[in-house]
Amino acid sequence: MRITRKAAGAAAATAAVALVLTACSGGGDDSAEGGEEGGDVTLTVAWWGNDDRAARYEESIDLFEEANPGITVQTQFQDWENYWTARNTEAAGQSLPDVFQMDLSYLRQYGGTGQLADLSEYTGSTIDTSGFEEALLSSGTIEGAQYGIPTSQNTLALFYNQDVLDTIGVDPLEPGYTWDDFNAFIAEASEAGAGEDPAIYGSGDYTGTFWFFLQWYLQQGEQPFTEDGQLNFDEAAVTEFLNLASELREAGQLYPTERAVQLAPLGGFTSNEAAAEASWDNFLAGYISDAGTENIHMLPMPSGDNGPQQFWKPSMLLSSGANSEHPEEAAELISFLVNDPQVGEIFGTSKGVPAVAAQRDAMNVEEGSVDATVLEYEESVAADVTESAPLPVEGFGSIEAEWMRLAEELGYGNITVDEFVEQWFAFANDAVGQS
Amino acid sequence: MTTLTESPAPQTPPVDHEALARRAAARNKRRVKSVIFHAVAVGATIVVLYPAAWMLFASMKPNSDIIGNTQLIPDVWTAEHYTTALSGIGGVSFWTFFNNSLLLAVLSVVGTVLSSTVAAYAFARIDFPGRGPLFAVMIGTLLLPFHVTIIPQYILFNNLGMVNTYYPLLLPKFLAAEAFFVFLMIQFIRGIPRSLDEAARIDGCGHGRIFFRIILPLMRPAIVTSSIFTFIWSWNDFLGPLLYLKDPALYTMPIALRQYVDQTSVSDYGAQMAMAVLALLPVMIFFVVFQRFLINGVATQGIKG
Amino acid sequence: MASIDPGAPVAVPGQPAPAQHLQRTDAETPLPSPRPAKRKYKREDIRSGYLFLSPWIIGFVGLTAFPMIASLYLAFTDYDLFTSPQWVGFDNFVDLFNDPRFIQSAQVTAGYVLLGTPIKLGAALAVAMLLNMKHRGQGAYRSIFYAPSLIGASVSIAIVWKAMFIDDGIVDRVQQAVGIDIGGWVGNPAFSLPMLILLGVWGFGAPMVIFLAGLKQIPAELYEAAECDGAGPVRKFWNITLPMLSPVLFFNLLLETIAAFQVFSSAYIISGGTGGPAGSTMFYTLYLYLRGFQDFQMGYASAMAWVLVSVIAVITVILFRSSKGWVHYTGDER
Repeated sequence: MRITRKAAGAAAATAAVALVLTACSGGGDDSAEGGEEGGDVTLTVAWWGNDDRAARYEESIDLFEEANPGITVQTQFQDWENYWTARNTEAAGQSLPDVFQMDLSYLRQYGGTGQLADLSEYTGSTIDTSGFEEALLSSGTIEGAQYGIPTSQNTLALFYNQDVLDTIGVDPLEPGYTWDDFNAFIAEASEAGAGEDPAIYGSGDYTGTFWFFLQWYLQQGEQPFTEDGQLNFDEAAVTEFLNLASELREAGQLYPTERAVQLAPLGGFTSNEAAAEASWDNFLAGYISDAGTENIHMLPMPSGDNGPQQFWKPSMLLSSGANSEHPEEAAELISFLVNDPQVGEIFGTSKGVPAVAAQRDAMNVEEGSVDATVLEYEESVAADVTESAPLPVEGFGSIEAEWMRLAEELGYGNITVDEFVEQWFAFANDAVGQS
Repeated sequence: MTTLTESPAPQTPPVDHEALARRAAARNKRRVKSVIFHAVAVGATIVVLYPAAWMLFASMKPNSDIIGNTQLIPDVWTAEHYTTALSGIGGVSFWTFFNNSLLLAVLSVVGTVLSSTVAAYAFARIDFPGRGPLFAVMIGTLLLPFHVTIIPQYILFNNLGMVNTYYPLLLPKFLAAEAFFVFLMIQFIRGIPRSLDEAARIDGCGHGRIFFRIILPLMRPAIVTSSIFTFIWSWNDFLGPLLYLKDPALYTMPIALRQYVDQTSVSDYGAQMAMAVLALLPVMIFFVVFQRFLINGVATQGIKG
Repeated sequence: MASIDPGAPVAVPGQPAPAQHLQRTDAETPLPSPRPAKRKYKREDIRSGYLFLSPWIIGFVGLTAFPMIASLYLAFTDYDLFTSPQWVGFDNFVDLFNDPRFIQSAQVTAGYVLLGTPIKLGAALAVAMLLNMKHRGQGAYRSIFYAPSLIGASVSIAIVWKAMFIDDGIVDRVQQAVGIDIGGWVGNPAFSLPMLILLGVWGFGAPMVIFLAGLKQIPAELYEAAECDGAGPVRKFWNITLPMLSPVLFFNLLLETIAAFQVFSSAYIISGGTGGPAGSTMFYTLYLYLRGFQDFQMGYASAMAWVLVSVIAVITVILFRSSKGWVHYTGDER
């Protein structure tokens, strides 16, 4: 009785709600205050990161406000996960900040659905792009529209812990090593470390990270995504990639999933129980801090037939909300943050190696520091970076998460490689390019 | 002991051994009960507080010793995490976060008590048309998982221009939007005998006076309980502040807390532990202070014949 | 109840109200008007009722109704947060019943509700009764047992709880001492849910405090009278404590059950948002959140939400109906 009354009321209101929601999607209030005529402009800025990054941003923004007395900047920040919850909610309410950090994996999601301002009218003018390499700058574009300006770049690297290698008496790999060499190294390290308590392994299951598959696929001579945002690889490719590690999996020589779950948010590598792990090069600082040792070194990714064929990826970008009421000032702030040498000095390589040369040169790089190591690494692999970054498709975040979830199931032995492939493709075909 | 006095020795009544034995038995029984009580209580305490102790000690371990380390007592003690936590984030001081949380929590308590008591009284004691369906609707508001209402709610508050203020966090409290407390108070009120209401009616009281003079004072345990919970829920509320507070100067403790562990940069687990400990102290104190009022229960007040 | 309004005709229950002002003529012998089936509401009651309820009504209409109705609407749409919702009818509902992860999440939540709620309530009641005995240090113990409820909500609980349940953690060491060789619970899909259940039970302080408040309301005279009649502790419990506590017990049972169906943050924080390992901690609301915010399928998430609402609503109605059988309100309910 009551329930049908509720339902009837709800049905009657549905029409009204539909109108409201469509109206809301069309336009809404910008949460930024200010914008009085001829007077102060207030910009909203958002970033993700820890307390250290917050301090650096505040410092940089103070400099901007000094140089631009008519602009006040209101900042906000969250940690990575909650950042996107907040941004997604704002997007639904059409109230994204004037300037905010953007990640490549979400660029198409936000840009392709009209949430981001097209900055191409400002590039070259308000936004000084002279210090950018063309390839890096264009990684922030989708079909000609500049949705984000890269702040910094990174590329993949294989990290290894020399302390751990010393403990088990295994030599590190040499640059130019292949995927087979990598497998052999892992097997050797896991065997040597089997007697330790807790046991030491060569590495975790590297096939569990979607980006590594993309890197490997590039080495096969193909782009993983098409221009219009579809997948450009098939089940056979994924199966082949996953099977690279199948011998190790069967022999139990990969870092066990159970243990990794137990140690989360750390992993095998950061707990000094695995000798090597691949990741983005600017994660060095985090690794050193978590593992508690500075004796961590970097190598390029395993080589295919034509070398590692790595790519520069914008480690993060700055975008502007399409609903911004001050696009010109937002562009000024973006330009300042990516170009100003003092800002480069403030951040160092904490967000990645700065995209603009002026910022790179301004960094106070001490010998032997994390910044220095990352810079040296990037210089040493520059010759190996031959590809452009794959532009993630819409729904990238969820297919990446699905890949990780299936990898965990694979690690527990709940599914086979074939089932992994089948399930992932079923999910991905549904998730990619929905609108 | 013997004293030299003029008066004769006082007559001592004959010793009633039976009574003495009974009293002794009763005393022993009480002692045994006491021992059992304390044994059980202490045992439960250890089990219950182990995680809390772990957290406290972890906040004093260096970062590398926190994860994966199963030892309770630190090998190396450090106070650096507390320094980090107290130094604030992004230019906003720790005390700002603290005061913001405190302000929100206190206002939430006031709002909840004010609005929930009157709503509960209406549901429990006033017979008006539509009471049944409205009660069902109120219970219904408890059933919906919050994740699907946050988007429409955000749009609503955004259109009202209330984002980046405390209004979205406080308005619901002042408008009895937490059905949990209304329902709790309803259950308490229903335990109060109606004979009191009727007696007051005969004296000519209307609902207003019955509410203020009779029901409200007798509801003290419910009000105290609700206050405690409201304070704590508000203090720990994370999603609301995340979505609605844009200016770091308005941030509350739970938001600040999450800032220390970010998977894309260097994580400071120790600082997060330290801040968590600091964030817990006020709520613990609040609870310790206010739980005393639970002792003075309704008991036999106001029940006559 | 007798009306105290002196102007009204005196109504005797069960009989038609005398219409004193109507003159019966011989020509018309009207049948006595049947007593209206609906209750007669006193004007004062209607006024006061809505007056007292006005804050809640404003709050509901203004703040709660719109989001609720909107989410119901969204359940029938395809909504990715960025573009306008597209109507798809019942597609979402059909999809979800065919989705193995949905079914798994429902099972995980069902397990949590069925196991966790009784244990938590039992512990809460037991400890509340323990603390109700007059002993020194009551206040201190009360605070101690309540502390977990506070800590459990903190994000740092993830690290703390896992530290207890990993290999060589305190739980593992106790297990080994007793001869059980399971290893750490955290990475073990079979034991992750029990670990979260324990986390939920650990927070028993909240229902315990409510039970305590309820226990305090029981007049001591009842117990004294029973003792005079020679009742032992078990009889006192069954015949006095439980009935007198039943409104509060009902409250706790209902709300803990509803809360158990909606548990989110413990799984989110401890599994890092993955519902792992191997989906063993993928609570219903966690899966809902991931589909809504990570996969940008808010329509599907809303559909999941309303399925949950329906299930909980049915259970709530059952509990309310059954409460007439065992819940005893001292306030002389109608």
